[in-house]
Amino acid sequence: MKITKTQNGNHLCFALEGRLDTNTAPELEMAMKGAIDGVGELTIDMSSLDYLSSAGLRVLLGAQKIMNKQGSMRVTHVNDTIMEIFEVTGFSDILTIEKA
Amino acid sequence: MAGQYGNQGICTGENTDQSVISIRHLRKEYPDVTPLADVSAEVKKGEVISVIGPSGTGKSTLLRCINLLEIPTKGEITVDGVVTTDKKCKVNLVRRKMGMVFQSFNLFAHKTVIENIMMGQVDLLGRSRQEAYDRGMELLRGIGLAEKALAFPDELSGGQKQRAAIARAVAMEPEILLFDEPTSALDPTMVGEVLSVIRSLARQGMTMIIVTHEMKFARDVSTRVWYMDQGEIYEDGLPEQIFHHPKRERTRIFVRQLKVLHAEKISCDFDFPAFMTRLEEFGRKQQLTQRQIFAMQLAVEEVLMQKLLPVGRGTEKMDISLDVEYSERENLAQMRFAYGGPSFHPFGSGDDLSGRMMKGMSVGMEHRFVDGVNHFIISI
Repeated sequence: MKITKTQNGNHLCFALEGRLDTNTAPELEMAMKGAIDGVGELTIDMSSLDYLSSAGLRVLLGAQKIMNKQGSMRVTHVNDTIMEIFEVTGFSDILTIEKA
Repeated sequence: MAGQYGNQGICTGENTDQSVISIRHLRKEYPDVTPLADVSAEVKKGEVISVIGPSGTGKSTLLRCINLLEIPTKGEITVDGVVTTDKKCKVNLVRRKMGMVFQSFNLFAHKTVIENIMMGQVDLLGRSRQEAYDRGMELLRGIGLAEKALAFPDELSGGQKQRAAIARAVAMEPEILLFDEPTSALDPTMVGEVLSVIRSLARQGMTMIIVTHEMKFARDVSTRVWYMDQGEIYEDGLPEQIFHHPKRERTRIFVRQLKVLHAEKISCDFDFPAFMTRLEEFGRKQQLTQRQIFAMQLAVEEVLMQKLLPVGRGTEKMDISLDVEYSERENLAQMRFAYGGPSFHPFGSGDDLSGRMMKGMSVGMEHRFVDGVNHFIISI
């Protein structure tokens, strides 16, 4: 998975490309660790994400918990297949999601 | 099947429990291939046996050995109490008991339909030409071909040729009829007319062995089915068993026309990314939707990476294997995991994230613990 980080003031964006799974979820967790401290607005851009498993969902959930305390988080450009994952797991009620 | 008849003596001509055909440890070898490894079977009077199985598994060779069109390398065949594999056996007398219908009809092109049917009756059964003609016409009327009696084979459709070939075989009053893929060379529209003639013979109590790829026909018309694979009768059972409750793995894969991707000895060292790529290629080859491929990959990841392989579970003793099966007919993919250890349903304990995900992305999950082995199936 390729992770591209863009910061603009207190707005931080992680653009994900490829697969967010058991093998790659730790990479995203590491990239976020420390980087989201003090961030007011976090965006996870999924326009180039092909695959998402429960390991990835857990990382997103951890980020959402942190952002609940300090600002807001959006998951953007979500394709239909990944949207189905959010829906069947109930994450669509927890996260702020914008479909592709 | 091997060994089933090991203690039985050589048949010497007496009636063998009404077996019309008895086959013991039959083997046929060619210099570079062994189509029949070890076949033992019994055929009783009035049985209709369909022989099914993948190409190249010895089905036609078995028929040809029964009819002595091929000489078996080893083993023994008894037909109506006569050991036909005995060198002293009079082959022509045995063949007279058996009619054979071939895939390619094998009618004499220079003789009319009725002459084709009369010839054997006159030459081998000693019937007068009139008797042979009357019997021939009676048979042709029975299969709707009376008006073609004077036609030459080339003037007939494929289905008509095969019906005429069946009439020719029946005219010899055989006790057993052997069919070697009787509909394989036919245009699909003509298969039905040939099968209906064979059905009618079955109703009349004719003993038949039919090598066929027509699964519905085999299911409907047979009293017994032999599933052949790797040169042996891999499973022998009633049609209900073979087609709906096969006992053995290869039979199930064949009758459900499954495409299979197999992985075994899955441990913590399992090359997970490479298997995901194989799974994607498998899905694309079967023309699955992206959503189906996605769900299959999720099933593999959630079960293996989240549940079975994490510390403490992914030991060699678990001996994890996975068969991914796709049935085009049902458009259904099944991920069939098998693993050792105590009874364990990967998503049985509570409603965790992986379990919710798989429940939502699958059409069903099933766990069974049989003889110390867990079987967990996710259908997608």
